[in-house]
Amino acid sequence: MAEHNSTSEGRLIRLYDHFKREWQIYVLLLPMIIWFLVFLYKPMYGLQVAFKDYSIFSGVANSPWIGLEHFNTLFGSDQFMRAIRNTVIISIYSLCVGFPMPIILALMFNEITHHAFKRTAQTIVYLPHFISTVIIGGIVITAFSPTAGIVNLFLGWLGFEPIYFLIKPEWFRPIFIGSGIWQEAGFSSIVFLAAIAGVNPSLYESAVVDGASRWQMMWKITLPSILPTIIIMLIIRIGNLLEVGFELIIVLYQPATYETADVINTFIYRQGLQGAQYDLAAAAGLFNAVVAFVLVMTANTISRRYSRTSLW
Amino acid sequence: MSGVNLSGIVKSYGALQVVHGIDLEVTEKEFVVLVGPSGCGKSTTLRMIAGLEEITAGDLTIDDRRVNRVAPKDRDVAMVFQNYALYPHLNVADNMAFGLRIRKMPKDEIKKTIDDVAETLGLTEYLERRPADLSGGQRQRVAMGRAIVRHPKVFLFDEPLSNLDAKLRTQMRAEIKRLHNRLDVTSIYVTHDQVEAMTLADRIVVMNDGRIEQIGTPMELFNHPANIFVAGFLGLPPMNQLKGTLTKSGAMIGDTEIKVDGIDAQQIGRDVIVGIRPEHVTLTAGKGTSELPIELDLVEPLGSEALLHARHEGNELVFKAETHGDIAYLSGVKSVHITASLVKLFDGETGVALGARV
Repeated sequence: MAEHNSTSEGRLIRLYDHFKREWQIYVLLLPMIIWFLVFLYKPMYGLQVAFKDYSIFSGVANSPWIGLEHFNTLFGSDQFMRAIRNTVIISIYSLCVGFPMPIILALMFNEITHHAFKRTAQTIVYLPHFISTVIIGGIVITAFSPTAGIVNLFLGWLGFEPIYFLIKPEWFRPIFIGSGIWQEAGFSSIVFLAAIAGVNPSLYESAVVDGASRWQMMWKITLPSILPTIIIMLIIRIGNLLEVGFELIIVLYQPATYETADVINTFIYRQGLQGAQYDLAAAAGLFNAVVAFVLVMTANTISRRYSRTSLW
Repeated sequence: MSGVNLSGIVKSYGALQVVHGIDLEVTEKEFVVLVGPSGCGKSTTLRMIAGLEEITAGDLTIDDRRVNRVAPKDRDVAMVFQNYALYPHLNVADNMAFGLRIRKMPKDEIKKTIDDVAETLGLTEYLERRPADLSGGQRQRVAMGRAIVRHPKVFLFDEPLSNLDAKLRTQMRAEIKRLHNRLDVTSIYVTHDQVEAMTLADRIVVMNDGRIEQIGTPMELFNHPANIFVAGFLGLPPMNQLKGTLTKSGAMIGDTEIKVDGIDAQQIGRDVIVGIRPEHVTLTAGKGTSELPIELDLVEPLGSEALLHARHEGNELVFKAETHGDIAYLSGVKSVHITASLVKLFDGETGVALGARV
């Protein structure tokens, strides 16, 4: 017992010494900790309304507990099930099409040797990232307009009838995913370009002496070298799988396209903010968060086991 | 003949010329070492031979074929890099097979070649390991293995041992020498380490500031340096250099005259730099003829010998002495006797060795 005490005492003294020595570092960390506490942990207190019959007059604490009733309602609702289905489909499509795009772009940029051309091309593909989502939505709506949109204009030249893209459910997903890629692929490629820049140049020189072509070098050196970065980005992406960029959906969708466009986040937005059903929306949000948590944990574990790369 | 011939090789980056017209003939099976301080153009020259740098002017021939504009892969050279350049995601066997697969060699032939080379280099048990799981020496061996499996006409080594610790470097140096003796392939080796140059080379090329200072066998360069740069670069510790004036029978260094053999009568009075190798002296306790008085500053015992750091009229000098198991007697040293036949003389202005002594 005495030994135990002295060990824990020793640990305390060591901790105290450590803080005394390194306190500046903890001061630097403080703003981030406060930010996390205020904006991420404190709101978690409100999560309990997912299990309560919440009334804004009674407040969070005084609303009566109702167990899993909201979850029963959600899973019994066709709209919510449709939102889950749409979220998963849109997420998987964007993952399959959208995730490789920045990697391909980065590989292509890496192959461009003409500096001015490279810089211009990079600026052009980075640009949409800096435009607000609402403006992007406006551009997309204009581009696909049946009367003045460039897409229908082009179809008209080819002799086709104009297509009402934005009210046809079957067109929503391709348009949404395509505009998402247009907006973000360029900017997301920066992280892969940085990874490529970190590849030891003598690997390429050695391959050149061995007789490898540029194509072979890309496949056999560049891609395997940036694989850890790709995996990390994929884990992060999988963690955010259910976080479909709903701002753009809200701008683009309309009741006619709810069938393919309504995702969990837009459902939460409609129920929670427009319908004032905060408790039901909180339950949907909590479900979303739990699934995302499970996804990121699974992806990380699989990656750590098979590729020795992981986020933590 | 698998020789390499450089004729008037120039390398410029824009207006900046870094290699100023190099002429060098490397004969078949020869081991030539390019040595010089950092930035002297030796690595650039090697990279031009490999085809990794474009040649600005001049002719490069391998096997009597002009290869200035030939792609690196078609020059039939293999290169070992300073940082090994091993592919981190491939195991040892795949690293060694990389070049062979690109050349579409049949699988069974690749396996046989790799097994043979791995055995030669003692890598058989590491074939499945990745570079990250190997020691520095093993990585270096894999890098050499990757070059050897290609059976190239010319091996190019770019400071291959500089990332290893001193003990391993000595060991790998011997391995490279043995390997060259066995494979008998023309090799060009770049290093800034004069010990590597002296021990490995059939011929050494001393470079400085983008030019060749001297080419010759290690002993030729050591015994007859063409100029003060070569004299100072080869030999450890470097040759002591003292300003002096030629006299009838030697050279005056300050107030001291030391004997030097073979002075040309016409050169009496000429300003020279007197070069004295640290080991070409005998320690004495008093002042006699051809003895340089010194103030002993520091004794560094190395075991069988010791380095004596001393001063003579403001010049810092280093001498080497046998310890005979004891360094106490060295503290009484007051002067050094210089062996007249071993003194080197260089022109006081240009630093070029005086003709009589080259």
